Amino acid sequence: MSFAPNLSSFLGSLKESPTNVELSLQTLVDLFKRRQIRGSRQCAIATAHLLKQVIRRFKARDTVSLIKRVQDVGQKLTDAQPKELAISNIIRRILGVIRDEADGDKEGDAFQNYSSSEPGTPRKKGSMSPPQGQQNGVPVIADLEALHRPPLLTSHTSYMASTNGPIVTSMFSLLSQPLSDTSTPGSQSPAQQLYSSFNPTLRPQELSAEVIDGIDEIIDELDNMDDQIASYAIDHIHSNEIILTHGTSLTVQRFLLRAASKRRFTVIHAEGYPNQHHETHATITGKHKASSDGDPDQSDVQRFAKPLIEAGITVVLIPDAAVFALMSRVNKVILGTHAVLANGGLIASAGVKSIALAAREHRTPVVVVTGVYKLCPTFVFDFDSFIEYGEPGCVLGCAEDSDLIGKVDVENPLHDYVEGELVDLFITNLGGHAPFSLSSVITEQYRSEDTDLAVGN
Amino acid sequence: MASSAESPHEAGKQSFDIVSTYRSLLLSDPELTMPVAAIEALVSLLQNSPSLSTISEILDLLASNAEKLKQSIANPISLSAGTDLFQRYIINSLQRGGPAGAAGDFDAIRAHLLTNGRLFVARAKEARRMIAQTARQFIKVGSTVLTNGGSRVVSAVLQAAAEAQIKETGAPRFRVVYAVSASYKNSYGDGGDTAEGTATVTALRRLAVPVAMISEAAVAYSMGQIDVVLVGAEGVVENGGIISRMGTYQMAVLAKASGKPMYVVAESHKFVRVFPLGQQDIGVDQNVLNFTTKVEEVIETGLLTPKANFASRRIAGESITPDLDGSGYFGKDALHDSKNADFVDYTPPGYISALISENGVLTPSAVSEELIKIWY
Repeated sequence: MSFAPNLSSFLGSLKESPTNVELSLQTLVDLFKRRQIRGSRQCAIATAHLLKQVIRRFKARDTVSLIKRVQDVGQKLTDAQPKELAISNIIRRILGVIRDEADGDKEGDAFQNYSSSEPGTPRKKGSMSPPQGQQNGVPVIADLEALHRPPLLTSHTSYMASTNGPIVTSMFSLLSQPLSDTSTPGSQSPAQQLYSSFNPTLRPQELSAEVIDGIDEIIDELDNMDDQIASYAIDHIHSNEIILTHGTSLTVQRFLLRAASKRRFTVIHAEGYPNQHHETHATITGKHKASSDGDPDQSDVQRFAKPLIEAGITVVLIPDAAVFALMSRVNKVILGTHAVLANGGLIASAGVKSIALAAREHRTPVVVVTGVYKLCPTFVFDFDSFIEYGEPGCVLGCAEDSDLIGKVDVENPLHDYVEGELVDLFITNLGGHAPFSLSSVITEQYRSEDTDLAVGN
Repeated sequence: MASSAESPHEAGKQSFDIVSTYRSLLLSDPELTMPVAAIEALVSLLQNSPSLSTISEILDLLASNAEKLKQSIANPISLSAGTDLFQRYIINSLQRGGPAGAAGDFDAIRAHLLTNGRLFVARAKEARRMIAQTARQFIKVGSTVLTNGGSRVVSAVLQAAAEAQIKETGAPRFRVVYAVSASYKNSYGDGGDTAEGTATVTALRRLAVPVAMISEAAVAYSMGQIDVVLVGAEGVVENGGIISRMGTYQMAVLAKASGKPMYVVAESHKFVRVFPLGQQDIGVDQNVLNFTTKVEEVIETGLLTPKANFASRRIAGESITPDLDGSGYFGKDALHDSKNADFVDYTPPGYISALISENGVLTPSAVSEELIKIWY
């Protein structure tokens, strides 16, 4: 049992002192800075819970100031840890919820804004997701999506995108009404601010209640994400296949475990030395050592009770250096990731790029399983800025190789940037997506106004 | 502007001449792009035809005039992006209603279009500025950029990058390699027969950006020292590929072969609804591969009888105007064709790392989604 603050202690403190929002914000900023909350999932959960608190305590008169408040808090959080892209993604989702609530009220009281999904309206983008699945060449998944996705999610995606003006596309921005000509064409924010500020029907209590419902849905989504992703496992893993994986991603483990309930296959697990091998070993045996403090997804591994070997799966542990040698026998590579960028590229743990390149060399399909909250709408101009470096002590222990100390430079990157072209299929909680169609998933997830969080400020 | 043959069926029935309106618009403002000029021309067409009553009458008038415009120039791709967008906007506004008025309320839409005519031009220029602000981030300190053609957007991007780096570090810290076509004869009337892009090169050098001008043949030679390829486009087609100045495709192939990223900067009003399957499918009549023989000399040697002369069959299939200036009976090689400055090629989407429009950075597949949204 460790006494250093972490995600659960932060969530506990949110419950204990719900009124002191500024203190909670500062605590979370410190936790992010000290890397005591790390990993996409933990950052996402912490951000969502904090923003829920912020919105509950915010005495909103109108949506404009609420959006401003969320943007300010979001700025502090992303500044605290710019390399955790999930933080800004969750902030964008929540901003989208607020904007949709504002627009929903604006559009009229005829229908209960987000829960209703009027069929047949041409601008319902949320209802487009099944055909999209077919377009990707994975129609099965699209059908499954309808079956497996809990109703709360359906309503969620449907209101994500339901609020564009009558003319949907930004291509018409050249010709459209001069209302938005004071700002950048293509961004609707001034128009929306105009709408929401002179909208008398909007009562702040209702607004914040509905926004909090929306955030609860996002939190639920984060909790159920792995189950939803795992539900596609049977379609992708077949009997007697050899699957290669890497790292300790809980999403991948649950994905494989679900397939193991029906199929017999072999898993080759690259251990991820020097940063992840302890956790990898623990993941395989199911005995996680609590002493490895501060490692990514630590509590995830703890929660992951049943290991694959207990499900009757043959697990082969290999060093990363053996990946290429074994790749010719592998049927499929299944990987987790830290974040997915707008161009389909991955920020994944170090070693993933060499696996992906080896797979490409052998024409082995590469499948990436990820929650949609890891999809980033921003285009990254400098990929290297997202590569995090770990302590060199993992590579070169001070004690044993002391004659090298001071004579060599030691670099220990924790992440790889993997080009999107190396990935064959993304599986998210919304289904399977070909890399080229990720951009449409991303446009459905976030409002275009929020793509650049900094501009909103 | 290509000074090709005047439209054969010049309208005598109407006093308003769309083609000359379009041309005078282009001449009046060198910053104006072809699609925006086409939109402007169609707006003034609406202005000059007050007696329209039915919707189909309006759409017919727009369609026939758009067609007339396309006929009037050699390479209508860029232009058709503008006319298509405009026609589609009218149909969309009429069907669904919009901020300009309720569905079917043509008068309101027309009033909106007429009163905001200049605004569209201003927005198109604003779009270029926004692209420059986004795309300049691709030009990092210490990098070398390869470009070609006379794209105004590329020029804006490079200058924005230079200005930003001057502001941040005191000097522009990137270099530009400008590939120019040796045989280029400027047809835009902004500098006689100097190579296209000279103005950009001069402007960049004035900003203290080191620029190297190379011939297109030296692109592969230089590629090793290039970090990023940046090009403009005449049209962005449905699959996310681009139609651009001849030579862009080979630059893209070379960039891909060396693993260098290639970025395309183009305003979203250049997105055009064509789907080329290959270079011969662009929809522009350009006689690039012009096979010729010295027929008279061959016949003199007795190697071939005049009957077997396949060159005569080719003349029968000749679609461009036969060359009559005495340089050869069978037309010019592309090399000596005065129109070769307007030649374009098609770069498939697989060679393009990303497209930068005023709406942000798009993957090539996102282009088709934008187009699908307005057409279906």
